[in-house]
Amino acid sequence: MKQHPLCTDTEDGPSVLDLPIPAGLKQEWMALENRRRFLGRAGKVLGWAAMASLLGDRGMSGDARAADKPNGYGLPSSDDLKLPHFAPKAKRAIYLFMSGAPPQIDLWDYKPNLAALFDKDLPDSVRGGQQLTGMTAGQARFPIAPSHWAFKRYGKTGTWVSDLLPNTARLVDDLTIIKTLNTDAINHEPAIMLINTGNMNPGKPCLGSWLSYGLGSMNDNLPTFMVLQTKVNPKENNQPLSSRLWSSGFLSSQYAGVGLRSGGDPVLYLTDPNGVDREVRRKMLDAVEQINRQTYEELGDPETNARIAQYEMAYRMQTSVPELADLSKEPKSTWDLYGPDAKEPGTFAYNCLMARRMAERGVRLTQVYKRGWDVHGNVTGVLPILCQETDRGCYALVTDLKQRGLLDDTLVIWGGEFGRTVYSQGGLTMENYGRDHHPRCFTVWMTGGGVRTGITYGETDEYSYNVAKDPVTVRDFNATVLHCLGIDHNKLTYKSQGLDQKLTGPVPANVVPGLLA
Amino acid sequence: MAWVSKTVKKLAALADRLLPESRSIRVAWLASLLLSVALLLLPWIFKLDGKPHADWQQFLGRFHPLAVHLPVGLLVLVPLLEIVGHFRPALREAAGFVLGLAFACCLGALALGFLLAFGGGSAGAVVNHHMWGGIWLSIAVLLCLLARPWWISGATSRVYPAMLTGVFFLLTWTAHQGGSLTHGSSYLTEYMPAPLKRWVAPGSVKADAQNSVSFYAKHINPILDANCVTCHGEDETKGGLRLDSYESLMKGGKDGPVIVPGSADKSVLLQRVTLPPGHKQFMPAEGKPPLKPEEIAWLSAWVQQGASPTATTLAGVSIREEQPELPPQPVGDYSGLMAEISTMEAGQGAKLVPVSRKPSDGLILNTVDVAPSFTDAQLAGFQKFAPYIVEANLARTAVTNASFDTLAKFTHLRALHLEGTGVTGDGLQKLGSLSQLTYLNLSGTKVTTSAAAQIEKMKSLRHVYLYNTPAQPAPTEVAAKADARNTQ
Repeated sequence: MKQHPLCTDTEDGPSVLDLPIPAGLKQEWMALENRRRFLGRAGKVLGWAAMASLLGDRGMSGDARAADKPNGYGLPSSDDLKLPHFAPKAKRAIYLFMSGAPPQIDLWDYKPNLAALFDKDLPDSVRGGQQLTGMTAGQARFPIAPSHWAFKRYGKTGTWVSDLLPNTARLVDDLTIIKTLNTDAINHEPAIMLINTGNMNPGKPCLGSWLSYGLGSMNDNLPTFMVLQTKVNPKENNQPLSSRLWSSGFLSSQYAGVGLRSGGDPVLYLTDPNGVDREVRRKMLDAVEQINRQTYEELGDPETNARIAQYEMAYRMQTSVPELADLSKEPKSTWDLYGPDAKEPGTFAYNCLMARRMAERGVRLTQVYKRGWDVHGNVTGVLPILCQETDRGCYALVTDLKQRGLLDDTLVIWGGEFGRTVYSQGGLTMENYGRDHHPRCFTVWMTGGGVRTGITYGETDEYSYNVAKDPVTVRDFNATVLHCLGIDHNKLTYKSQGLDQKLTGPVPANVVPGLLA
Repeated sequence: MAWVSKTVKKLAALADRLLPESRSIRVAWLASLLLSVALLLLPWIFKLDGKPHADWQQFLGRFHPLAVHLPVGLLVLVPLLEIVGHFRPALREAAGFVLGLAFACCLGALALGFLLAFGGGSAGAVVNHHMWGGIWLSIAVLLCLLARPWWISGATSRVYPAMLTGVFFLLTWTAHQGGSLTHGSSYLTEYMPAPLKRWVAPGSVKADAQNSVSFYAKHINPILDANCVTCHGEDETKGGLRLDSYESLMKGGKDGPVIVPGSADKSVLLQRVTLPPGHKQFMPAEGKPPLKPEEIAWLSAWVQQGASPTATTLAGVSIREEQPELPPQPVGDYSGLMAEISTMEAGQGAKLVPVSRKPSDGLILNTVDVAPSFTDAQLAGFQKFAPYIVEANLARTAVTNASFDTLAKFTHLRALHLEGTGVTGDGLQKLGSLSQLTYLNLSGTKVTTSAAAQIEKMKSLRHVYLYNTPAQPAPTEVAAKADARNTQ
């Protein structure tokens, strides 16, 4: 059979040796083909093999790793990632998120000397040319507003805590109080995105998604990452929360947080409609899965598999969530501890109790959001309400975890997205004041597995405006949280948009050793 | 003067008799002699005074751990080549070259090592041993190099092999000292089986602290041991201060005593550990974790009350007698059993989850997915993997008192969750054999007071939870116990 002259199949087609070229060239070609080519190729092959082994089992496969490793749903699981990187102190975490930014000066960061500076101007040197928010940038003066509330010393550590938090104050010997957290953002949305996802822009996975991606589930019947929102109190200045905060970003949507509703059914349409029993539901899901699998075969989109996984999870949640939300078997001591508020779904105390129940059932991260801390004005009117709503719940949760033996391996975090200014926003009177956003220092506390309790970390200056000692950036904070859960923040990465993405972002972050047990 | 020239002449005559005829060989011997003397004098000229010197010295010196492995490898190769050379003469020829190369590398590594020690301000017994080992090893290799021609020519048959053997042992010893510096002197023996350990280092098993009753031995020395001795001990003695014995602690460092008996405020040691952690002079330095508040309190009380080596109790300080928490014992490698484990999991629904990617951290038995149907029989099924299980989460399962028989065989168990189960505590004493068990959660069970009394006998337990049980201690009792533990 006549071969086309350009055919490269040298088995039967014409080779270089058949071309009308000088015999010398042909000889050179043969020599190259036989010896040099062989050696060159062999060398390269060895080089690649060596490089592949040096880079480890994933080094050469890049993005393909997720799709190449089917484990039922074609998604990478914690088994593939080989996490935790080291034996963790905490297996799970509860994050009490105070959205809106609590004023550190009125709660934790005690500045007794400010009383003498009432209505004096904040020295320009302290502000240091900082660009303020549009809400106070136009103010003619920045009068210092000392805290309206007295502070007392609590516990063996003698930590100063505001009178607004009489219950949480009883925990101080068990808390790790960080006074020097600081953030890059000065407005709610970027700041809350930054502390939750490590980036001010939407599209990145949040802490819970990273945990769920990295550590996997402890309980197949409940989502790994759950979000509880507290009912809105219209007296407070509530900033909106969006599902971006518990989104999985570029990770499979399987790792996104699952929110329970704060009123009515925790999950809508969870109960089967009349006439549909469990078996019918199962059959329907099996059929849907078959169709979805066909779609996956056709298109190869891993999101299809995530969808299959979510249908299955929803099916299991039909039995697990009613059990989770059934508080009828809680002993009387629970209600004595959490208070009467806890009986009403959607309150902060109720959510704290739910968070404890989720911790018992192996949910990796439960994030409880409490809105309303954005006290630009009427601090003396609103702040006592906010504290009254949250103080007992915080105390009850930590105490309950402790008495039930769960605090040993549960990390509890309380904090917002930034702090509030020492100077008053709007008018300052003896009775009232307002506080604007303040990114340079704010207070959060942690307790439980992995952190050194009974300490206060870092110091702020006399105005609670700048960090005087031991600053903790949001990146360092998140790196430390991951560390408590057995994760090296530099190693938990996911390749997206040409970058090995991680929770702490591309700017170097460090675990804070002073915070660790 | 005449006396001097006479002596020189005598020495020259002696050298004539001893040294071979050829001029070049004589020069070689003389050069070697000078080099050896120079090497031996090195530590006297540049004394290791424990103070850091130039940065460039440290920079170069830090390549020592890298460079040092080259001569080690070559020196191991030499005797091998000599022996195999008996059968393949070409290899014996190579041995000479390898030996020469080894010597050159020895000198290089020695120079870098000295820069590291001198530049970085290292001092201490092990540093000294390692340094002198390196110097004598270099000289011994040099001598081997000189003696080898005799052996090749057949003039002597024993000197060179004997010296080579000597080099080999000297190499092993020096390398061990170096290893002790990098990894700590207990690196090799840390996980050695106890009988072997007793035989190798009889002193190291169960230190005197256990037998001794003084407050210093029981409480002060362990604090210093855990926090200070890595830099202020035998292996490294920064600032000339050693804190590994009572005598050295009281003696102090280069700048005088660090303890003033009777005055905690005037004692430099207490001043340094109580500075704000960011302070330049804060101890422990280099970002090591600060002393815990109770440790500082004990130190301070001990100094305040005279810093006695023998006093057994201190006024105002009572410490609950507790056996020190054992470091978690590593478990064996279960990677070979993964297939079996998956089969087991598929059949039971309960899972065996790795604690971390390190197999020696063990497995967690997690039953949460199937808790209501997980019974004693299912638990018994996991007995096969017992040596790898460090934590058993049986919370809210259907296990009963019968589970204690099975659990007693989980020898590596550190944490046991039985909260919300039907156990009443009958047979709880069977868990007494679990020497690693530190966490026991019985919350929400029907454990009785008499059964809970068994717990008191389990010495390894640190965290016991009896919340919402008949055996739950009254709140005041809890507080009293916590007080006793935390002492002030």
